Amino acid sequence: MKKAPIFVLLALSVAALSAQAPAPATATGTRAYVETLASDRFAGREAGSTGEQQAGDYIAAQLARIGARPLPGRQDVFMSFDFTAGSRDGGSQLSSGSQRFSAPADVVALSFSDDGTVSAPAVFAGYGIVVPEAQNFGYDSYATLDVKDKAVVVLRYFPEDADKETKSILARYSDLRYKALAARQRGAKALLVVTGPRSPNAGQTVPITFDTALAGSGIPAASISGKAAAALFGSRSIEAVQKELDSGNPHVAGFALDGVTVELSTKLVREKRTARNVVAFLPATSPVTGVQKPWIVVGAHYDHLGLGRNGNSLASGADVGKPHVGADDNASGSAAVLAVAESFAHRPMRRRNLVVALWSAEEIGLIGSNMFVNAPPIPLDQVAAYFNFDMVGRMQDNKLAVQATGSSTTWASLIERANVAAGFNLNLQPDPYQPTDVATFNQASVPSLNFTTGAHLDYHKPSDTPDKINYEDLDRIAEFATTIAARLMESDQAPQFVKVEQSSQTVNRTGVRVFTGTVPDYAADAKGLLLSGVIGGGPAEQAGLQKGDVIIEIAGQTIANIYDYTYALELLKIGEPVKVVYTRGSERRETTLTPAARR
Amino acid sequence: MTQTLRRSWLPLVLVLSSLPLLAQQSSAPKESDFLSRIRRLTVEGRRAGEGYWGPDGQRLVFQSEREPGNPFYQIYLMDMASGDVSRVSPGMGKTTCSFINPQTGDVLFASTHHDPRSKQLQDEELQLRSSGQERRYSWDYDPEMELYVRSAKTGTLRRLTNMRGYDAEASYSPDGQWIVFSSTRTGYEGQLSAAQQKQLETDPSYFGEIYIMRADADGSGVRRLTTVPGYDGGPFFSPDGKRIIWRRFDERGVIADVWTMNLDGTDQRQITDFGAMSWAPYIHPSGRYILFASNKLGFENFEVFLVDIDGTKEPIRVTYSDGFDGLPVPSPDGTRLAWTSSRGGGREGQIYLAQWNHQHALDALAAAPPKQKATKGSGQ
Repeated sequence: MKKAPIFVLLALSVAALSAQAPAPATATGTRAYVETLASDRFAGREAGSTGEQQAGDYIAAQLARIGARPLPGRQDVFMSFDFTAGSRDGGSQLSSGSQRFSAPADVVALSFSDDGTVSAPAVFAGYGIVVPEAQNFGYDSYATLDVKDKAVVVLRYFPEDADKETKSILARYSDLRYKALAARQRGAKALLVVTGPRSPNAGQTVPITFDTALAGSGIPAASISGKAAAALFGSRSIEAVQKELDSGNPHVAGFALDGVTVELSTKLVREKRTARNVVAFLPATSPVTGVQKPWIVVGAHYDHLGLGRNGNSLASGADVGKPHVGADDNASGSAAVLAVAESFAHRPMRRRNLVVALWSAEEIGLIGSNMFVNAPPIPLDQVAAYFNFDMVGRMQDNKLAVQATGSSTTWASLIERANVAAGFNLNLQPDPYQPTDVATFNQASVPSLNFTTGAHLDYHKPSDTPDKINYEDLDRIAEFATTIAARLMESDQAPQFVKVEQSSQTVNRTGVRVFTGTVPDYAADAKGLLLSGVIGGGPAEQAGLQKGDVIIEIAGQTIANIYDYTYALELLKIGEPVKVVYTRGSERRETTLTPAARR
Repeated sequence: MTQTLRRSWLPLVLVLSSLPLLAQQSSAPKESDFLSRIRRLTVEGRRAGEGYWGPDGQRLVFQSEREPGNPFYQIYLMDMASGDVSRVSPGMGKTTCSFINPQTGDVLFASTHHDPRSKQLQDEELQLRSSGQERRYSWDYDPEMELYVRSAKTGTLRRLTNMRGYDAEASYSPDGQWIVFSSTRTGYEGQLSAAQQKQLETDPSYFGEIYIMRADADGSGVRRLTTVPGYDGGPFFSPDGKRIIWRRFDERGVIADVWTMNLDGTDQRQITDFGAMSWAPYIHPSGRYILFASNKLGFENFEVFLVDIDGTKEPIRVTYSDGFDGLPVPSPDGTRLAWTSSRGGGREGQIYLAQWNHQHALDALAAAPPKQKATKGSGQ
């Protein structure tokens, strides 16, 4: 609401500009697409839902209107695929001697567990962490233990009292999947995870997270309550055992739980659903013989979070359970793709075929685009380029991030030329390993670009609504991308693919268990961590941080980028205040932030 | 045309600024007071800089390291409507400091492509870079550097100077009839004393002086305008064509200031006096004020400043970004500013473009206090 005047101003200045500019790329503009896709009737377009079906039908109708056809050899524009939409415990059980424990109170299968029943002697293996030898660090919870054919019991997380450096290393190998792998590789028959009394979420089972990966852990794996753990530990105090381990001393060994044999039966119910990519193409207007790689793909995901039940929602309070209409994420990108398609449909000359792809199941792990790439209906080595749009509706101050520019040496020149007229304040990011479908095509060695205007306070909330979209600039982005694609369209030559090395610092939140309530601006290229907002009532807001602040230091760790920040968060302790240094405007400030627990 | 300085100082600047230095804690004035819709103009290539406008504001000529197989700058012309970019220089060797003839559209620049060692020097530099080493770039004031002009009408390339020594940093008068430039030719003619010889080996820029000649020159009729020891360079004509603005270094090559003079070298006046490195001056088309760059605020932090045409007021800071901001050049209609900046991150500069608030500049000048005298040696 406070934003309205600014919004109007922006709209006016852009309108004034475009009065001098060439005619816009689209006759209809992007507004109608966004307002329809983000309307309540599609209920947030959750992959596999009725709303997603209806949204797909709408997109198909628009593609038909534009004149795009089903891909060669296909009857229609729908490409269906099955995926795991969620999991729940289907009645796992644990018994030891005469004591029996059952789901969901005291035993819950881990989301990647195999189904099965195992009976085996129990061995306690500390935190169950193995740091690879290549790291030259020397921490192996199994160093002195024989766990072959045993049921391994481990603590969740990593040693609580270790120094920062130790923690930072151990945290990277504390992911439960990794712990299960380590146990299995040493011959264990099952894994039981206990959240220690000295850790956050003490004594609680681990909620089943949404895990779409097909590969299981290869063994039954479950978390158990503090009560069930106490039964296994008998007279020993778990707290005392954990305290000894918490120093991080690698020489504190695990031990066999003498005389304890457990019987574990795990059962996960995975809910399968069917989602649809909507893919069509505009054929080249002349024979493509002599044209190198005669295909170009433009794409965006059209699915979103539905009612926000799958764990990716950031809704709070009264907003929980409402439709996440996803106007910016990613009705805006879908609209841009349709606008680009429409613009090309009106061009007299297309030397390449243009594939127009709207992906589903992006929000739960880039599944739709991966399905396309893994069973490509067109030869991927004949695709000259892929253009992706993800969240392009919230432009502020003329700032546009273009990501994956490192995927070809051609991009710099094409972007430079197109932007002389477009005039965006560009933030170019070479890294193609982005959390959107551009990563899928980069993995398939296709030169790719992703356009985004970045995250904001309404990200993954029901409040990401069409009235907050900056349509004039959304149209400009579609036109900009069209200009770049058109230059490729006119050339016989295809861009050369460049493989960008994946940074070892890729953001990985598995080790992060604290909640700070910060909303990083992922599109920003600031020195430090620019906040695009803070979550209401969260620790950051309580610390006085606000949108626009740039965090440059937290708990003594200097922050240069999002990776540093994520890394620093691994080391924070819940409830333990830390100093945060940040800049607001040109002023350097300090505050104290007290992290809360992430569920 | 202060190419040389940018070359020699920028890498050092950026190395230092990677330390967690905080920007000046100035409160009230902001970059957005002067500059709006700031955006990066050049994208391709390792770095780019020194963008100079054509007379109609529809073209910009600049230097950029983007020629495949050549690690050195070449000269490019950008069409500001279509975004098309074409190379103007031969593609071989080193080039620097281009300028568009306001009357004919001919493009003037300095180049070494006639040097038979050009290919070898390119390969050596590429090899050095691929070995992962980073040259602490010291611009070498290559004595092979000569002035050339590319005809807009015929596309032919004509050589204007033919004298051993670095001939570069050239620009046209508004009527297109005259060229003013910098040259180190006195370091290569006649007998040098032992001290002068040593000077030439350690810092040839010491011999840089300002010269003027006819635009249709063939290398003769060159007139020298400055004689003070120390590097004089980067000269441009005032918008009315009556004066020349340039920057003058002290003998040690540490402190530089902006000066103006008549076309015959008389009435030399010092404009800035920060006791720092103040250079890359350019006069706004209104003739009212001068834009220049200075590291007054910290050896590693160049910013663009503004000062009245006679230098009677204390200069006003224009840019407020980390790293390098310099080589400001306003568009012919005075409404836009092109400058070179490293604000996009990384070590290398690129050309940026913004809308220029001329009225705010006039207001700020009106409110500025009288010039303060520098405390020599401070701020270094």
